[in-house]
Amino acid sequence: MLLELTNVVAGYGGGDVLRGVNLAVEEGTITCIVGPNGAGKSTVFTVISGILKPRTGQILFKGKSLVGLSPQQVLTRGLVQVPQNHSLFPAMTVRENVELGAYMLRDRSLVRKRYDEIQALFPTVRERASEQAGSLSGGQQRLVEFARCLMLDPSLVLLDEPSMGLDPKTLREVFKTITTMKEAGRTILLVEQNARAGLRLADHGVVMESGQVRLDGPSEGVLNNPEISALYLGGSVSKQAAGA
Amino acid sequence: MSLVLQGIVTGILTGGVYALMAAGLTLIFGVMDIINIAQGAFVILGAYLSYWLSVHLHIDLFLGLFITIPVMFVLGVILEWLLIRPLKRDRTQLSILVTYALAIIIEGLLYFFFSADNVKLFAWYTTQSIPVGPFYLPLIYLLAFALSVVLLAALYVLLYRTKFGRSVRATTQNRAAALLIGIDVERVAALTFGVGVALTAAGGMAYGATTPFTPNSHYDLISRLLVIIIFAGMGSLGGALIASVGMLVIENVTSLLWSPVWASTVFYVLLVIILLVRPQGLFGKFATRNQ
Ligand SMILES: Nc1ncnc2c1ncn2[C@@H]1O[C@H](COP(=O)(O)OP(=O)(O)OP(=O)(O)O)[C@@H](O)[C@H]1O
Ligand SMILES: [Mg+2]
Repeated sequence: MLLELTNVVAGYGGGDVLRGVNLAVEEGTITCIVGPNGAGKSTVFTVISGILKPRTGQILFKGKSLVGLSPQQVLTRGLVQVPQNHSLFPAMTVRENVELGAYMLRDRSLVRKRYDEIQALFPTVRERASEQAGSLSGGQQRLVEFARCLMLDPSLVLLDEPSMGLDPKTLREVFKTITTMKEAGRTILLVEQNARAGLRLADHGVVMESGQVRLDGPSEGVLNNPEISALYLGGSVSKQAAGA
Repeated sequence: MSLVLQGIVTGILTGGVYALMAAGLTLIFGVMDIINIAQGAFVILGAYLSYWLSVHLHIDLFLGLFITIPVMFVLGVILEWLLIRPLKRDRTQLSILVTYALAIIIEGLLYFFFSADNVKLFAWYTTQSIPVGPFYLPLIYLLAFALSVVLLAALYVLLYRTKFGRSVRATTQNRAAALLIGIDVERVAALTFGVGVALTAAGGMAYGATTPFTPNSHYDLISRLLVIIIFAGMGSLGGALIASVGMLVIENVTSLLWSPVWASTVFYVLLVIILLVRPQGLFGKFATRNQ
């Protein structure tokens, strides 16, 4: 397993939000976490990224513990996150934003090389390089965020609700980019509100509820689990996902 | 007409010094979301440091900045760590209380060490005037303005041409995202506070060389500085420069043409009008800031 969470308990000071999370992500796969609002999905990411310290429990990445590491140290291990909310620097150019993805790197020629590779992959980055990031549409901003997170050449990418607020066409593009990332050999852990679409994209599905993992397994199985589909994958969700 | 011109020129020159002090205040707000009420007290402290160095060690006012700027920088970093970093919740509101307390403490210490007497910084160039076009300008105004321009240019280079500057701008624009790409935002905050306070060493020297001061001069200063950065829009650096010069020009022209009594009143009235029309200030960045 590339990433393994065992009995992770964490909170923001007012009671536990994660109440014993067990989760495993296999190398080279897409794993999708679904669950109702407030289940603690984003909190799992915050804990993995080193921003929130778990109260107890173990987090192993490539066999080594991440617990107690700073966000910087987690990044250097090859694990990056694209958060749920806007994470670009609106008054900086697209190029500056993408370059900042390599903030941790000292080797300037490596940064230039990575930037060239990434702008070849992302037409948005190429075409909008000198525009202010804040002037881009929501979908374009998402793609720039993806481009930025690849600057460290990560082995595991955490994507928190990548489809949020996107129209169906942009959503398809974003999902295609996720598949491309996987084909490039990266492992992906994503949270998706658009549960059906997310699970179809994924190899593994994880259902979270009230700070715990209710169910996990191959995404097919999660998608077709009658109890789960009644609870989380109701008709309205499947309608939204029809375009994807 | 020449009176108006003189008011404008003096306003621009003194406005440069205010820009220096306001730049520190608005930079600190941008990065840390805190309002440093002690900024005025730091200016006065900087002025007293220059005073002490020049009276007791006979160090020139401008040369003394090579001592006072680093000292104030270190003081800023330590105070940030001691007083600001522990504020985890409601930090904007709490910072007003904490830094107000800090201002009072600094004022008390200055009374203790320097008494309540009026002080002014002296050097050969503080009493000279030189002819510029149709009128004479105090040489110190020109020197203080030049100092401000040099330091603001250095600040610009720091912010827009260095990696540290990038991390400052990133933290200002989106703190959570800055953390996620590996910027040590607490370190950035401490250094930014240090830079903001270091600027007051120069601002204080320039202020003290043009205006007599006492330990409680900071009340007047901080209200002017707050007006400037609110007028400009909190967190806007360019705005702070324009607002500083604008405020001092308006004050000077009013005072020369009308009466010194009305000088700052006119500016405050203008401020109220502008805030009614544009609550985010003239150059406010609130709209583009996240969270
Ligand atoms: N920074 C924070 N400080 C305090 N409480 C928080 C914070 N972030 C999240 N919480 C709380 O933790 C719980 C879980 O939040 P989290 O964001 O992890 O849920 P989520 O599953 O990602 O929900 P959503 O689908 O809405 O994104 C919620 O009750 C939320 O109010
Ligand atoms: Mg969430």
